[in-house]
Parts: sequence; structure tokens; C-alpha cells
Amino acid sequence: MIVKVNGENLELEKSLNVTDLLIVAKAEQPEYVTVQLNGEFVEHEDFAKIFVNDGDEIEFLYFMGGGQLG
Amino acid sequence: MKADDFLDITDVVCPITFVKIKVALEELNDGQILEVHLNAGEPIQNVPRSLKDEGHKILSVEDLGDGTFTLLVLKGGLS
Amino acid sequence: MDNLTNEQLERYSRHIILEQVGGIGQKKILDAKVLIIGTGGLGAPAAMYLAAAGVGHIGLVDYDTVDLSNLQRQIIHQTKDIGKAKIESGRETINEMNPDVQVHTYSEQVTASNIRDIINDQNYDFIIDGTDNFPAKFLINDACVLLKKAYSHAGIIRFQGQTMTYVPDKSPCYRCVFPTMPPKDAVPTCRQAGVLGVMGGVIGTIQATEALKYVLGVGELLTGYLLTYDALTMTFRKIKIPRNKKCAVCSKNPTITELIDYEQPTCSFGA
Repeated sequence: MIVKVNGENLELEKSLNVTDLLIVAKAEQPEYVTVQLNGEFVEHEDFAKIFVNDGDEIEFLYFMGGGQLG
Repeated sequence: MKADDFLDITDVVCPITFVKIKVALEELNDGQILEVHLNAGEPIQNVPRSLKDEGHKILSVEDLGDGTFTLLVLKGGLS
Repeated sequence: MDNLTNEQLERYSRHIILEQVGGIGQKKILDAKVLIIGTGGLGAPAAMYLAAAGVGHIGLVDYDTVDLSNLQRQIIHQTKDIGKAKIESGRETINEMNPDVQVHTYSEQVTASNIRDIINDQNYDFIIDGTDNFPAKFLINDACVLLKKAYSHAGIIRFQGQTMTYVPDKSPCYRCVFPTMPPKDAVPTCRQAGVLGVMGGVIGTIQATEALKYVLGVGELLTGYLLTYDALTMTFRKIKIPRNKKCAVCSKNPTITELIDYEQPTCSFGA
């Protein structure tokens, strides 16, 4: 099956939950990333429960803060 | 035909010519007429076309014979 | 508003020629008030372009002084300004660029106790978040939602940047996308990871573009979108983001109804 992650196609052998997808897709900082599945936000507490299917579009949205610590 | 307002732009060059006319037309309502006194050369070559592109109608162009022209512009005449 | 002078007609001629601007639009820009919080990598170019455009009132908020390492990207400051307060250096540059602009300076860090007063000082129409830390970013977002002010959020790092625009009651806010502040040290900063100087220029200028479009009432804003930019691949992506029905500050049942000063947690996420 093929899903789109951040606009790029990713081939998967089988359906994965979001937690595993973050690893397979090499997401940076998976604990702090915001995930969108087909346009809707997925809450962190649901990452293990939600599975992706063929044709799904996933976005990883990252914090970008700037120059200073804290 | 009597104009509702008059503008002399013989003292400026393009594109300030068009800028001044545009701002003067903003003060008028659609259907009102602006009389413009402008120079031969670039102004008379560029201004009428630019005004048409913005939806205004050129009612008349008069060569005054001294290197200047008079234009009568109908605001929104082409809309 | 007074008529434009001959000098202004010439100075802003390239704006006035635009169908969507005209003399009427330029007068709107001259009447506009934009607050820029942080005159660094993002705020510096944003301030300069807004000054050039003729925004009549520009507020600059920064408590820092100009440092040599700033000059690689904070182009509103020059070598001779090292050691000077950033707001003073910023004000000088703007005054030299355009006498039509009045600069209002605030030599402070935004906090829950002063941000309302700063925003209300000139009743700013639009706010630009040019800050470089998450407590400020979350505070600015919450303040703009509570005070119903439109604003532009942005961030840059390495060769990347992102930005989104918030318009009250019409779009998602920053917290819709990022509900909770990350812990300290969780997210790399420019000091640790570096940033290509121009990144602030590209993204900061986009923020200024959004401010001008908002003032003029033209085009489509980045409301409901997160625009991301990767300079290495030269890719822009416009990611559609919905309003978060559970957003703590902008949803129908907000849990954040007052401004507080955020301390970034140093332990686990969400603590």
C-alpha cells in the first residue's frame, strides 16, 4: 500500500499505526510532532490506536522556534 | 462636454503621469469626466491605453499643437 | 486622511499603479499600524519592507542589544550598531528609509502583564511574531486570540522556515496546531543548530506581505494553512490545517481565558 507523508509517497507492506509510522517515516522528534491524517489532527494519545490505509495523506508538523533556548 | 475635474500633468513623467490620473479618478464617481492636460511623446502614447485597461473610456483626444494634448476620460466608461 | 503629496505619489508609484492598491490602498497602508514583536531574524526584514511600503505606524518590541552574531541575518542593524538597543537601531534605519513612518519602541520582553498594554498602545491592526522562543510565541498567540487581533506566526531553523496567519474567529490559531509548549531543549534553536541568514528574509518578508494584504483587504491570506519552506530543495508547501475543536484558547469551550507567563517545562512533554 502507498501513503503520502509530507507530500512524498511512502510504500508500506502493511497498515501501521501512527506510532510505528513515525518510526518508519523517520519523523524528527516524534514526541513533539503534530500529526495530521487526511487533514484532521490526530491526538498523541491516539497514536497507537489509529492505523493508516492505502491512499492516506499524513503530515508531520514540527515546532520551529528560533534562536533562543527557553 | 463639461468635465467634472481638471488635471495638469505636463510637469511630470511616466509612470507618475498615470499615477496622478489614477488618484484623481478615485475622487470621482463612475460616469464623471476628468479633463487631463498632458505632454506628447510617452504620456500620450501610454496613458490612454493604461486607462482603458483599468476600465475607463477615452471620450476625446485633442492635439493642442504646442506639444501637449487634452484628454477627456469617462470614469468606469468601459465597465 | 490627507491627500498624497507629490513626493508620496512618486515614492509609492509602483504600489499605486497596482489595480488592487491605487491611491486608496496606499492611504490605507499609510494609516495602518503594525506591531513587530522581536527585531531579529524575522522582525528585521519584515520591519524594513513595511517601512518601505509606507506603513504609517510601526511598533518594535525588543529588549536586546545588537550583537556581532546578529548581523549575518538581522539586516536592519549595521556593524556600527553593535552594543546599541535593537529598537533604537531599528528606529534609526526606518527613519532613514522613510520619513512617512512613525516608529513606536518598547524596550521590553513581552509578558502576560505587559502584552495587552503594548498591543493597545496604538491599537495595532496586525501583529508580527518575530520572536525566537516558545513562551513568547504561545503568549502572543493567546493574546491575539483573546484580544481578537490578526497576526502572523513564523519560525526558522537551518534551511527551513514556516509561517501561518491568524485572523480572529476565521482561522485556526497556533495552539490548534501545537496545543502544548515543548520542554526546554526539546527543539533545536538557531544558536545550537544554525540558520542560513536569508531564511529570516524570505519568511519575514512573507509575514510583511500578509500584513500588507490584511491592511489592503486583498488576496488570500495564509489562514487555515501552514506554509513550510525548505531552501535546500527549494520547496514551498501549503498544508491545510483545520480549526481544532478542542483548542484550549480559540475553540467554543476554551480552557485558557487569561494570559499567563509560561515556563517551559524541563521534564516530560505535556507536564
